[in-house]
Amino acid sequence: MSRFALASIALALGWNSPALAQPTKGTGFADKPTQDQLAFFEKKIRPVLVESCYNCHSAQAEKVKGELLLDTREGIRKGGATGPSIIPGNVERSPLIKGLRHKDPDTAMPPKAKLPDAVIADFEAWVKMGAPDPRDGKAVASNKYVVDVEKGRSFWAFVAPKKSPAPEVKNAAWATSDIDRHLLADLEKKGIKPVGDADKRTLLRRVYLDLTGLPPTSEEMEAFVADAAPNAFEKAVDKLLASPRFGERWGRHWLDIARYAESTGKTANFNYPHAWRYRDYVIAAFNADKPYDQFIKEQLAGDLMPSADPKTKAERIVATGFLAIGPKALNENSSLQFELDIVDEQIDVTTQAFLGITAACARCHDHKFDPIPTKDYYALAGIFRSTETCYGTVRFVQSQRPSPLIALPAESAPSAIAKKLTAEERTATEKEIADLKKKIAESTDRLANIFPAAQLSMAQSKLDSYEADGTPKLQAMGARDKPERGGGFTPKGPFGPGGFGPKGGFGMSRSIDDSPIYTRGEPNQPTAEKVARGTLQVMSKTPLKIKTGSGRLELAQWIASKDNPLTARVMANRVWMHLFGRGIVSTAENFGAAGQPPSNPELLDHLAISFMEDWSVKKLVKRIVMSHAYQLDSKFDKAAFEVDPDNALIWRMSPRRLDAESLRDSMLAVSGQLDATPPVGSVVARTGEGPVGRPRLGGDGISQAINDPKNTHRSVYMPIVRDNLPEALALFDAPDPSLITADRPTTTVPSQGLFILNNPFVIRSSEAVADKLLKSTTTETERIRAAYLTFYGRAPGEKELATAEKFLKGFQAQLAKDRVPATRQERETWAAFCQALFASAEFQYRK
Amino acid sequence: MFTRRQLLQSTSSGFGYLAFAALAQEQAARASSEAATNPLSPKKPHFPAKAKRVIFLCMDGAPSHVDTFDYKPKLTADDGKAAPARRGVFGGGKLMGSPFKFEKHGDSGMWISELFPELAKHADKLCMLNGMHTDLPNHPQAFLQMHCGIFQSPRPSFGAWVLYGLGTENANLPGFITLSPPQNNGGPVNYGASFLPAMYQGTKIGRGGFGPGGGGSQQVSNLKNPKLTLNAQREQLDFVQSLNQNALEEVGTNPEIEGLISSYELAFRMQGELPKLLDTSNETAATLKMYGIEGGGGGRPMGPGGFGPMGGGRGGFGQQCLLARRLIEAGVRFVEITMPGWDHHRNLKDALTNSCSAIDKPIAGLLADLKQKDMLKDTLVIWGGEFGRTPSGQGDGRDHNAKGYTMWMAGGGVKGGYTHGKTDDYGFEAVEGKTHVHDWHATVLHLLGFDHEKLVYKHAGREMRLTDTKGNVVKEIVA
Repeated sequence: MSRFALASIALALGWNSPALAQPTKGTGFADKPTQDQLAFFEKKIRPVLVESCYNCHSAQAEKVKGELLLDTREGIRKGGATGPSIIPGNVERSPLIKGLRHKDPDTAMPPKAKLPDAVIADFEAWVKMGAPDPRDGKAVASNKYVVDVEKGRSFWAFVAPKKSPAPEVKNAAWATSDIDRHLLADLEKKGIKPVGDADKRTLLRRVYLDLTGLPPTSEEMEAFVADAAPNAFEKAVDKLLASPRFGERWGRHWLDIARYAESTGKTANFNYPHAWRYRDYVIAAFNADKPYDQFIKEQLAGDLMPSADPKTKAERIVATGFLAIGPKALNENSSLQFELDIVDEQIDVTTQAFLGITAACARCHDHKFDPIPTKDYYALAGIFRSTETCYGTVRFVQSQRPSPLIALPAESAPSAIAKKLTAEERTATEKEIADLKKKIAESTDRLANIFPAAQLSMAQSKLDSYEADGTPKLQAMGARDKPERGGGFTPKGPFGPGGFGPKGGFGMSRSIDDSPIYTRGEPNQPTAEKVARGTLQVMSKTPLKIKTGSGRLELAQWIASKDNPLTARVMANRVWMHLFGRGIVSTAENFGAAGQPPSNPELLDHLAISFMEDWSVKKLVKRIVMSHAYQLDSKFDKAAFEVDPDNALIWRMSPRRLDAESLRDSMLAVSGQLDATPPVGSVVARTGEGPVGRPRLGGDGISQAINDPKNTHRSVYMPIVRDNLPEALALFDAPDPSLITADRPTTTVPSQGLFILNNPFVIRSSEAVADKLLKSTTTETERIRAAYLTFYGRAPGEKELATAEKFLKGFQAQLAKDRVPATRQERETWAAFCQALFASAEFQYRK
Repeated sequence: MFTRRQLLQSTSSGFGYLAFAALAQEQAARASSEAATNPLSPKKPHFPAKAKRVIFLCMDGAPSHVDTFDYKPKLTADDGKAAPARRGVFGGGKLMGSPFKFEKHGDSGMWISELFPELAKHADKLCMLNGMHTDLPNHPQAFLQMHCGIFQSPRPSFGAWVLYGLGTENANLPGFITLSPPQNNGGPVNYGASFLPAMYQGTKIGRGGFGPGGGGSQQVSNLKNPKLTLNAQREQLDFVQSLNQNALEEVGTNPEIEGLISSYELAFRMQGELPKLLDTSNETAATLKMYGIEGGGGGRPMGPGGFGPMGGGRGGFGQQCLLARRLIEAGVRFVEITMPGWDHHRNLKDALTNSCSAIDKPIAGLLADLKQKDMLKDTLVIWGGEFGRTPSGQGDGRDHNAKGYTMWMAGGGVKGGYTHGKTDDYGFEAVEGKTHVHDWHATVLHLLGFDHEKLVYKHAGREMRLTDTKGNVVKEIVA
């Protein structure tokens, strides 16, 4: 809890009694001051206020602190965010005096330096006389921000997308689609001419990498180059859209947004052994081209949707894992704080992922930039507080917030655990449990019991993950509604056989209910009145109609509606960004006032409206890649650059580095190592519940698996443990999975260079390509040609051949100097050559 | 200001490190019209300051203040009496006087316990903060708060902010290095860049915690090729760079490829330079002795099973202190070293004795060495853990205490032989000169020349800072 919070509690407990909260006439203020009193004010008080306080507490203040204005009588009496500053006549209880005395650094005023004692004495005397004050006028902060929802509705992002006819363009022949016409009209206005078209090889490599995250094989490349049909490109696009590799790449984009990870992160990092189901759900959804509106509804309220068969039911439960996989501080002592933090995280991910706005800012205060009052936040909070979040985890040292998981219908989903629990294993585990229980019962030393208690939890959790017959239980993370009333939850505790942890449950919501506003986000400052569950006023004039249940389904329907001004725009913008490297709204994560306006609003609306016709992501992708603009060359053009250096208007295709997954997957693919079969489950699933690092509980399996150079599955299936990302991903800007990320940065740092030059995975891959080349070709020239085709999808030029040959010769000579045995020199030389190609810009960038 | 191209041409290595500017320029061009500068080149702070670099001696686990630097005679006098109400969760809440004797040291007469005979000789260099407090008496939160300002959501670490603010002075080395950081308590977040550009994140050397490899081995990941000699690798890299030059010529202008070219060169130089810095074999016997690496001092190995970090010997804390000095001397901006094992719930007398003896000589050696090299004046040395421990006993140990504890600083711009703040008569709670972690961060940034309210980075629509929305500079300790 913040210091401020503690101060606020003190204020709330001490001074904020209703009688004093609203000083009115007859409260003891000197309403008819005498001349002497006024003189005292003018001489002793006003100058000090002006000199020492107005800087932060007046209408002129650049930023009014604590909502406290001291430049009018009204302001000083009304007080600020934490209540009145003066209790007339009562020096000891007046926060103003307490602040001046500097007893508590949290409330000390002025904060930087205490005023002289004599001055403080003057203020004490003044308070005693009833704070006589001649300063009339309203307390108004010149810059005080008031949320004006009505006015907010006119902000572009909150206005429904408008259909506008494609603009007239001069070069009508260039534009092959409405997308092109929208782009070209702006380019022509600025006098920019788009560059020429990409050659076929560049174009195919581009669309392969963009759609599947893998480069074309040399056979695919040559077949495409040879295909002279006018629809050759379209055929290639259709093939890629139908490939299961499409969902693996585009699913990964969504997993960035959904802050997908397989552990809790935060203060004590514990496994989420069931998170992988959500990963697979997302990949399958993109592969099946699940309509985006349905995709939204399933993730927010899949459990509440009617499902015809067990498989669909299971799929939709797994989808709600979206709400459960967020980071959690399992060692939070306060149940209510823990609940409010989970809810906050859910509001954050929901509003950012689907709406591109940050409503979570309104937890403690009205949103500073967007028209989202705190009330709206707590309307959403009510919905999520009426929801039970099921994420598992185990009771352990520093982990005292385990939750149930959701059982899936039998045979509705695969299991990550292949093996049944044998009778012997069960007996052994049961014995372990009995022994530990005995050990704990016999010891009176609570400290000594901590570790056995943790072991006990782990053993129990292992046993609990199997059915009675030894079959691994089918379980998922997810969300479900709390009961309509009552609530079955009884606070336990002190928890665990070790007797540690908090006593549970006070203030938590146990059933479906509205939430109060928590002033400044503090759990001990709820308002008396509750806010009706609902959504953001700025985007809907009619309140949400919730008949039964938490309201999640209604919320999901509202978000996934064609009337929602943001949903389609936000997704269309992201799809555009993944294909062009930059969103039409360049701040893809923020469509609010603190973000950037669209560079081409008509185009954005055109994409959003056409997307809403069927909510098909694949069709949207196809419309964009079939545009002329997507097929432009990436060549630099000085004249265009000078007008539009960011390429916001798309006068060329922006080249960019492959993202972490594509880079690693391309290395696997080129070296022939890629195992394209999706693995079932994940290492984390097979490890089970418990802390991520567990050297004292039988090995550190996960940390080795995370960076296993022999892992040849696609990167999307690598273990994603919070704060322990695989190096191959983390170094190349894969996002921190505790953050919701729409747009990854691209950094170029030396640790990437060290990885490419020295990491065992890269070396293994280089050797694998070298072996392939040595086997399939005989002459040096042939080999170089084959390498160029494999790595770059093109043949080397004469000069390049010569450079390569020179390198091979020189390098082999160096190996001889370094006394590498002659028998190994050839392979080492070719491995070094292949590694150099991996390191080259042409491999690492897509043009 | 040179253009990128001029810089590239003017640097002797061919592919200048400063071509990094290319990246910055590209990023800046994307984000705003901010002037293009190399984001890692040395930068001036907001105002002139004495401290130019930081060595943070991080005491993972929270050392007891009342047994080390916060002298509490009344606690000794009242040993065994009931602690004031509601204090001390365990052990019946009885006050436990320190088993260690305190004496006054130096001209300043600073009280230091007998646990630090060597460090006490430097009393007049130390600036004691006896009124520290933090939000929660829980390791993970407090450890994160100490490093990142807040623990509620991911934030850049202290070192990343400093590197972001000041840049680095050696283009061949990372600007922020952390030696053997713990893997728990947030792990990499404690030296991460979070939303700051990745170039500001700490480079980890070695892995922390107890166990084989813990606290000892100084390894940077991927720093050495398992097969090739540096000469062979240079051949290979020359070929890579020729491919990249061709690619660059083909596209005309591409700052990203220029950035790639220069980052490979820096990586290659780091391979050469970092192992040299980490190799202390050329240090004199006198130096090794001064740091307690050889010739005794440094305590026994600790931790379960008797392995784990220690003070003396290669791979011990003394070695880390020496490395910190070498790295700082070579131009690294921020070096953090971690000593684990301070969570003395049990057996305080022996365990704390051992922990302190493991760091006493090394830290004394570090201060003396910095002084003799005339580097102490502009190097800020910081010592402390995530909180303190209760004056009441917990069996024969002490429990967590967030309300009052001690950190100290020495060198760059702080008053030596000065004590700021105090706890109550027993040491439960800071009562005077209260210094919250935010205040401590604000003060360190001030010592480095920054207004902590102005060292900001825009993220998620807000101007973020290390001190979140809080923090007051403790002006009293500024020399």
